[in-house]
Parts: sequence; structure tokens; C-alpha cells
Amino acid sequence: MIALANVNPGDLFRVWRRNYDVYIRLWRTEMVAPLFEPIFTVMGFGWGVGSLVAGNVMGVPYLTFVGAGLLAFTALLRALFECTYGSYFRMVYQSTFDAVLCTPVEVESLALGEIAWGASKALLDGIFVLGVLSLFGAVLSPLGILIPFILSIAALWVAALSIIVTARIRDINYFNFYLAFVFSYLWISGAYFPLDKMPQLVQVLAWLVPVTAAVDISRGLMIGHFSWRTVFELLYLIVAFVLTAELALRSLRRRLVS
Amino acid sequence: MSVNGIPRGFAIEARELLKSYDNLTAVDKVSFGVNYGEAFGMLGPNGAGKSTILRMIYCRTPLTGGSLSVVGLDVTREPRSIKESVGVVPQDNNLDPDLNVRGNLLIYARYFRIPRNVAEKRADELIEFVELGEKRAARIDTLSGGMKRRLMIARALINNPMILVLDEPTTGLDPHVRIAIWDKLRELRQQGLTILLSTHYMDEAEKLCDRLVIIDRGRILVSGTPRDLIAEHVLHFVLEARGINGRALRHDLTGIISEKRGSTHFYFARTAEMLAPLMREYEDCETYLRHSNLEDVFLRLTDRDHLT
Repeated sequence: MIALANVNPGDLFRVWRRNYDVYIRLWRTEMVAPLFEPIFTVMGFGWGVGSLVAGNVMGVPYLTFVGAGLLAFTALLRALFECTYGSYFRMVYQSTFDAVLCTPVEVESLALGEIAWGASKALLDGIFVLGVLSLFGAVLSPLGILIPFILSIAALWVAALSIIVTARIRDINYFNFYLAFVFSYLWISGAYFPLDKMPQLVQVLAWLVPVTAAVDISRGLMIGHFSWRTVFELLYLIVAFVLTAELALRSLRRRLVS
Repeated sequence: MSVNGIPRGFAIEARELLKSYDNLTAVDKVSFGVNYGEAFGMLGPNGAGKSTILRMIYCRTPLTGGSLSVVGLDVTREPRSIKESVGVVPQDNNLDPDLNVRGNLLIYARYFRIPRNVAEKRADELIEFVELGEKRAARIDTLSGGMKRRLMIARALINNPMILVLDEPTTGLDPHVRIAIWDKLRELRQQGLTILLSTHYMDEAEKLCDRLVIIDRGRILVSGTPRDLIAEHVLHFVLEARGINGRALRHDLTGIISEKRGSTHFYFARTAEMLAPLMREYEDCETYLRHSNLEDVFLRLTDRDHLT
């Protein structure tokens, strides 16, 4: 049986809405604090590293080049943290999931609701960082406005992957392995420097993980570049999300319903 | 389906209910029925399988075998409809710490698809019912243990359930709070709600339950009204002698059943007079002559290794 077919859209929304309500209530810590860092990162890269990089990288100004990577990673990491530590806290320490599952809401709707919420936070962060990058003049095309929405598809994938990890670990410290993997991957995803400078094997590995596609699409849209390659990358993100989500839903059922 | 508003058949009916994990049988072919409007208790030591049975009833845990119907519906086929008719107070409080008292009720109402205006009215009524009026806007971590438990009960009632399931409703609470919660449960029972609760407190079972089952190691040992169980399984009076100083338990008395638990001797008899000579014999010990109670039934029936 397909777990995704067991999702009730109304219930999914209700789970999402609970997290949204709490987010609005705690807006100072939830919204303001985490956006502090990207502003400084953009300043650092723009004025600091940017001044050291002579000329353009792959034909675009360095801040535009690296801005796409920063934007992608800020958004995706937000989804990751939400669906690892955030979901784990709700599941284990607050027993929120247990309370939800005593109502008509089924575990599949709960899981996808959490994933959707993680992606929603990524979308909000994406919009904010895009705004900061525009202020610095790094966004060269109006197509840039699409980036947060494209990134939220990649964020859905990251959120689903994170739920799989969350559903399988028994000790919160195991997130360290997952985070080590993700942060290492940051350096080969093409976020900070062009991928074609890497050895062939690393390039293949990099393209297997959908984050690289997300970074590539974002970079293209920053300069107004949209092609068949963008469409294929987008499809790759969608397929990766659907397969990962299916696994995530199954994992959470195994964890919570026995 | 109903006569005078009371549906026919059982509110809950379990037949050969089985739940096993890898190498453990938690619930071993248990059969019982709970009538509508009845307060039904499950009494048993820790790990007896009470919570597992309750979890299967409120569709939180799948069965391994047997059949289970709740409000006339099969738990494996119609969990969603069942969950709409059942209110649940699990063993551990799982209130949402990110929301206040009223917020906890409203969010739960949303999961049950109760329209906002209905939910608000019902939440306010329930807050009054559990006497948390002054705390309606309070954060959960500022509530006392008793308040949290009362809020859990209010939350379980938000969907106007036909059955209220409570897993150890008063464990760990002080006597005043326990009495207050019992009063609320009696009130609900009088309003016609079917109540199913698990407990390992004998006084709770005796005071609240019309009928009960005693469970140990996943099996039902006995079932009946608290009074019948006492009458059937222990004699009416008991002499309890504590601090026995190495004295041996007497087995040679006719019409008297003797038993040793830890460092206390128990002698059961039909009349108090029969125990009078023994009382003199145990003069140097602390002795109590009393009516036997559910605890005596429980301790006689359940496994001792479990309890020590």
C-alpha cells in the first residue's frame, strides 16, 4: 500500500496549522533571530570575500554566484532543523504526536504536515534572504522572485529526508551524524564555488543529491537563466521528494504505531 | 439501533483480543464487554497489559489477533469513526506546552473538525467544568499536576465522546486531587458517559467502577462488581498482623485462610469472632481487624513476583 495515499489533506493542513499558530505566537524568536545570521553572511561574502575575488565567477559577480548558494542553504537548513530537532522535540519530549494520534488524524497526515511545515519555514527564510540579496544588488533578474518557491520544493525533499532520520533514531545525539553529512556536503554542492573545478567522482556524487540541482536552478534564476536543464532539475527535485516522502511516512508509522 | 437513546449492544466488545510483540505476548486472548453508560475498570499490576488493551480500544495500536469493536464499529476497519466517538486520557500527560490552557482545547477541537465557534463555546464550558476558569490563559508549565490532569480530562471531552478512556487517571496525584477527579468522573458517569479506566489503585476501582476485571500478565483473572469479587475471592473479614518477629504463619485453623505477604500475616475468616483468638495471640504485634477489600482480592490473585 502507498503511504502517501493515506494522507488526508484536511488533516495535513491541521497539523501544519498547529505549527504555524505556535510560530506566530513565538514570532520574535522564530522569525527575527534566525534571520540575523544571513544578513551578516551576505555582508561578509559581499564586502569581504567578494572584494578578494577578482572579476566574475562563471560569468557572474561573485556575490550573485555565492548568493544563490547561500540562499539555497539557508532555506534548506531551516527545513532540516525544523524536521530534525523540531519534530524530534514534538515527538519525544512534548509527546505532541502522541496526542495528535489519539484524534482522527492518522500518522501519514501528521508526517506530511510536519514536512510541509518544514518547507514553509524554508520558503519564508528564502523570501527574506532573497530580499537581503536584492538590497546588495546581487539579484540580476526578475526571475529571481521564483527562487524561494523552487527552493521550497527542494526543502520538501530535505524535510522528508530529515523525518526519516528523526523517525529512526532513538537518541537525539545521532542527529550529529546526519548534520556532519549535510555540512560536509555543503562544500561539494556548488554553493560556494563552481562544481566543474571538482574531480569527476565528486561531481557525480554532488549531482546525485538534489541540493546541487536546487543551487543550480537558483543561480540560473538569479541571472534570468531558464532552460530545459532547469526543467529537468525541477523534475528531479519533485521525484526525489515524492520517493523520500513515501519512505518518511512509512518510517514514522513504524516508529509511532506498533 | 437505539432504544430510548441508549444504543443496543456493547460499547466495547473484545473477543480473544491478542497483542504480541517480537517475543512478548502483552495481551493474551482477552474477552470482555463494556455496556453503554457503565464505568468499567481494569485493575492490574504494572506491565499487566492494561495500557495495551486501552491503546487498542482507542485505535492507537493495531491488534495482532482476535476482534475488537468499539461503539459497534470494528477497530481495524473504521478507526477514524471510532476515534471521533472516544475521548482519551493517556497515562502520561501530553498537553501542548507551546499553547495555553484554552489553546490546548481549541487545537484538539480542530483535529476533530469541530467548527471554531462551536469549539470555543465547548472549550469554555469544559474549562468551567474542570474548574480551570482562572487559568484559561495560563501556560501549561505553570499548572500543578492536578490541574494538568483535569485539563487532560477536559481535552478528552472536547469531541463530546460516547466513551471516555482513562489510563491511570490519578496516578501520582495527592489525595485531594484524586477525590476531585473522582467527583468529576462520577458526574460524567451520571450524565450517561461510558467510562473505561485502568488503575492499580484498589480504592479507585472500588469507588468508581460498576464492574471491573483484574488483569495480570496479559490475561483476565476475574471479572465482576467490586463487591462480588470480594465476596467470591476472599472471606469477609481479615486480621492483619505486622511486625511478626520471625513468628511462623498458622495454617492449622479451620475456616480460616492464612497468607504471608512480606513481613505481614493475613488471616481471612467469615466472621470477626473467628479471628478474636488470633488477635490475642499476636498481642505483641501491630494488628488490624478489618473488612476485606479489593486489594486483598488483587494480591491473592496476581502474581507475587510481579509485586515485589
